[in-house]
Amino acid sequence: MNSNLQPNFNYVLLSHHHIPNVQEIEVYEQAEGYSAFKKSLSLTPDFIKEEVKASGLRGRGGAGFPTGIKWGFFSKDREAKKYLLCNADESEPGTFKDRFLVEKNPHLLIEGMLISAWALGTQKGYIYIRGEFYHQAKILEKAITQAYQKGYLGKNILGKDFSFDLYVHRGAGAYICGEETGMISSLEGKKGQPKLKPPFPAIKGYRGYPTMVNNVESLAAVPWIISFGAARYRQWGTEKSPGTKLFSISGDVKKAGVIEVPLGTPLKNIIEDHCGGMREAPLKAVIPGGSSAPILTAEQAYKVKMDYEDVASYGSMLGSGAIIVLDQTRSIAEILKWTLEFYHHESCGQCTPCREGTGWMEKIAKRRPSVEKTSTPEEVMDLLNRVAQNMRGQTICALAAAAAMPTQGILKAFPEEMKAYFGNLKS
Amino acid sequence: MSTSLPFSFTEKNLKEYQEILSRYDDIESALLPVLHLAQEQHGYLPTVVVEYISSLMGIPKIKIQEVISFYDMFYDTPTAKKIVQVCTNITCSLYGGRKIHQELLSHYNTQNMVPTKDGEIFIQKMECLGACEIAPCIRVGNDYYGPIQDTQEALNKIKGESANP
Amino acid sequence: MSDIKKEKKIVTFKWNDQEIQAEEGSNLLKAALDHGIEVAHYCYHPGLSVSGVCRMCMVEQIGDKAPPRPYPSCNATVSEGIHVRNDTPKVTSAVQSTLEFHLVNHPLDCTICDQAGECKLQEYYMEHGAYDSSMVDKKVHKEKVQDIGRNVMLDAERCILCSRCVRFTAEITKTHELGILNRGDHAEITAIEPLKNDYAANVVDICPVGALTSKDFRFNQRVWFLEDLETTCLGCVTGCSVKISQNHNGAFRVRPREDQEVNGYWMCDEGREIYKHLSSLGRLQFPLKNNSGLFIPTESEQFLSTLPRPMAIILSTHLTVEEYEAIFHLIPEDQVYFYRLPEEGPEFDSLLKRSDKNANRLGLEKSYYKAYNNVLNWTTKDCSLAGAKEKLNSVKSCFIVVPEFLPHFIKAKNNFENFLHSLPKECLKIALAYDDLFQGINHCDYLLPVPTFAEKDGTFFNFKEQARTLKKGIVYSQQAQSVPDYLALITKTTNNSKGFSHAAQ
Repeated sequence: MNSNLQPNFNYVLLSHHHIPNVQEIEVYEQAEGYSAFKKSLSLTPDFIKEEVKASGLRGRGGAGFPTGIKWGFFSKDREAKKYLLCNADESEPGTFKDRFLVEKNPHLLIEGMLISAWALGTQKGYIYIRGEFYHQAKILEKAITQAYQKGYLGKNILGKDFSFDLYVHRGAGAYICGEETGMISSLEGKKGQPKLKPPFPAIKGYRGYPTMVNNVESLAAVPWIISFGAARYRQWGTEKSPGTKLFSISGDVKKAGVIEVPLGTPLKNIIEDHCGGMREAPLKAVIPGGSSAPILTAEQAYKVKMDYEDVASYGSMLGSGAIIVLDQTRSIAEILKWTLEFYHHESCGQCTPCREGTGWMEKIAKRRPSVEKTSTPEEVMDLLNRVAQNMRGQTICALAAAAAMPTQGILKAFPEEMKAYFGNLKS
Repeated sequence: MSTSLPFSFTEKNLKEYQEILSRYDDIESALLPVLHLAQEQHGYLPTVVVEYISSLMGIPKIKIQEVISFYDMFYDTPTAKKIVQVCTNITCSLYGGRKIHQELLSHYNTQNMVPTKDGEIFIQKMECLGACEIAPCIRVGNDYYGPIQDTQEALNKIKGESANP
Repeated sequence: MSDIKKEKKIVTFKWNDQEIQAEEGSNLLKAALDHGIEVAHYCYHPGLSVSGVCRMCMVEQIGDKAPPRPYPSCNATVSEGIHVRNDTPKVTSAVQSTLEFHLVNHPLDCTICDQAGECKLQEYYMEHGAYDSSMVDKKVHKEKVQDIGRNVMLDAERCILCSRCVRFTAEITKTHELGILNRGDHAEITAIEPLKNDYAANVVDICPVGALTSKDFRFNQRVWFLEDLETTCLGCVTGCSVKISQNHNGAFRVRPREDQEVNGYWMCDEGREIYKHLSSLGRLQFPLKNNSGLFIPTESEQFLSTLPRPMAIILSTHLTVEEYEAIFHLIPEDQVYFYRLPEEGPEFDSLLKRSDKNANRLGLEKSYYKAYNNVLNWTTKDCSLAGAKEKLNSVKSCFIVVPEFLPHFIKAKNNFENFLHSLPKECLKIALAYDDLFQGINHCDYLLPVPTFAEKDGTFFNFKEQARTLKKGIVYSQQAQSVPDYLALITKTTNNSKGFSHAAQ
């Protein structure tokens, strides 16, 4: 993809991105690639797990749950059949960081998965990549073939009593397959419908076996953490949000693309320094973490620091780190409608509050005057807010909340604009 | 209307099918890649394909039908030589993605997910394609194109300029 | 044989203010329902796997280790000392809002929907809803009135996507005819091919709403005019527990009753037919005489007292144990015969149905042995076989109890007609029948009305020798008398307990 934004290569994840042909294994190895994995094989699995835990690395897919702690829930039985799944479904609107990572440096992900597989004792792994990323899937498959040829994958890797098989599995166009149990259902050859929890995937996941699901970015951070240590990883970021993060920025900025910065970087810096500032009109709002993250006003956007806690303090979330920048020419009502269209389209339909709620919210947001004879704008906004609230906490997975929160966020952040919109519906 | 000529994998695809099966510890897990393969061969996934895959893999037809109907990239009605997917999510809509989608439909005188009469073009409105830095973006076949300045550029890409590197 | 049984540990837990004892690890929702607690739910069914999609059965757990949010009780298990409530403000508001979501796209079909009166949407709305609708937007429409085979009608629009029917065809019959296609609120129950299993009608029972209805029952009666008669099916030796919905206008449908010893929660489609002869138009209301092909009413006492001897009786295998005992008390062994229905279908279809359609054969064999101190020898007593039939060549009058449900058994009904035809012409044939709809009726000289299985109390023994009861429901033929009662009339008129065997004076 031709993006005009040039990221910094000085951190953890993009440090090899400037090297031509680094997707070829020889080039990757020359740049010290797979050395972290080789080092790992001489470390105990427990040591690696402790190191990842100490680093404070948090799940980079959106949930932000500490990876080391998630790994701690996993069965330690190395004889038992277990699976490691990489979540490369990347469908959260505004997010393209995982794609950016793997299309240039697939071996980094493979190495991250190898170290994780060694630590967790999983014998087989799948990279579940969204179906639309056809070329990226091919790039990963080619890199995996190279890794097999070099003996990094397969049986008795590098002479050790460790075997790991890795495959790429393409999805087929469904956002819900980014939910870890939705992904598991899809990998099982079914509709990508999330599963009831309990049982949790770490106990009973893919095909009923213990399964660890981690995001691309989380797994790709593991080699560096093993090479340089948890303490050095913590030199960046904050106490509770250590390390670096990939952010995908798009919208009304001069330069759109992916950057890697320490967590806690002010959003203002990202927009003005990395993205070259606003395109034309001044800032109006920012969606900070993918479409599920409640919108921030310009005032909030200029104050917020991009770490999990600070963004949460504004009632939003860091999420996948997908930043969509909106200027003063943009209509918030349109953003709301597009967002609700998305969740309506993507709801898997399994459980009632989400299935019916996502459809209903879109219809309410798109009401026409003929329907509106009796409702005031306040009544419509109250209804929308009530429906959104009723969807939260009632469902099998978080999609319902992911639809509800931005809706409530928009109503709260831009009440006047929304009131004017609902009061002035054109047929 | 296509008649119910039975479907079966080409010899090459049968080999591919065997390779796909070897990746998994059970047969059912192979369903999505197998459906991709069948769709590459047949263009879409009608009843005859479902019947073939059902008997090949031992999966009940209804379950295969469920999967086809669930995913945006599986089609149970005829598509066309070129499938054009236009993103209409937030950033792409900000930059005219919806307008491009509408104008493409008018240009080709067709509707969303209805193939043109000559069987050449099939246009599909999509959600976020994961390439927001080149918004508005489209997919033609497996290739991404963007930022699409206007509908004319979209038409050029559809007709066959080289893909984004 | 190993005698190791899993220890069933009974523990105590609390639901609202009620203490309940249940097996540790058992389903939490089921434990509550079994103890009479009302918990709104759609998708949970004790005979199917847990799906947890309706989100109605939410509970809030009280105590230190409680999860922060309400959770569905169908996905939880009983453990010692847990305390859950479904009467907290959080839960009651969750139930109400989830109910509202169920009704958002639901069509207002109540006035034309069979489910009205036994519809869980209606019931829960009255109990937990009763809100003013805010839904003024266009509802999603789906395909209505689809005949999906085996007497089942599908209305996809009414469906609340609880997935019970899908799970039924996947887990119980394993025939996979039903599935849910599409995503979101376009998700739709679909049968890509017609239903083809022998248990299809169960999906109508388990559907909580009017999405799946019985073509047979459709538009016939409002359920609030019906009462259920708890009885046993006579379709085969399995003897499933069933209930017949009836009123004074007739019987209208059969549904299974839970019976963990015999049929669990289900019954086969064949058994669904067993109500039809109860109140059909052909039901015999009084004795009839065959007057050159035309059956005219007659008076039974008179001709019963002048029957030529010797006599024989050919009994069906569907009478009750009590009736058999009374009959064998009146008639000597050498004059008693049976008509045994031939086997139909596989010996056991691996779910419920058996090929032996002689529902009370075991009860009959027991009573026979008890009365005559002999094991019943079917080869010599079964009139569907040539050997037994020969013995009837010298008989001058015979009573033939027409097998109940005969029209449902293809092989049997033809055989039975042939059998009637093969009886000696000089022999007077008195059929004890339910209706005038059986083949071969023209070979009979007299027809006497008898009560159906739903019009008498009695006992059956199924294939496992388990006793099952019949209960007397609404009587649809006032002049019907039981077989023993007719036979008692004969012995009365000849003043001889063995009157059956002597020539008339």
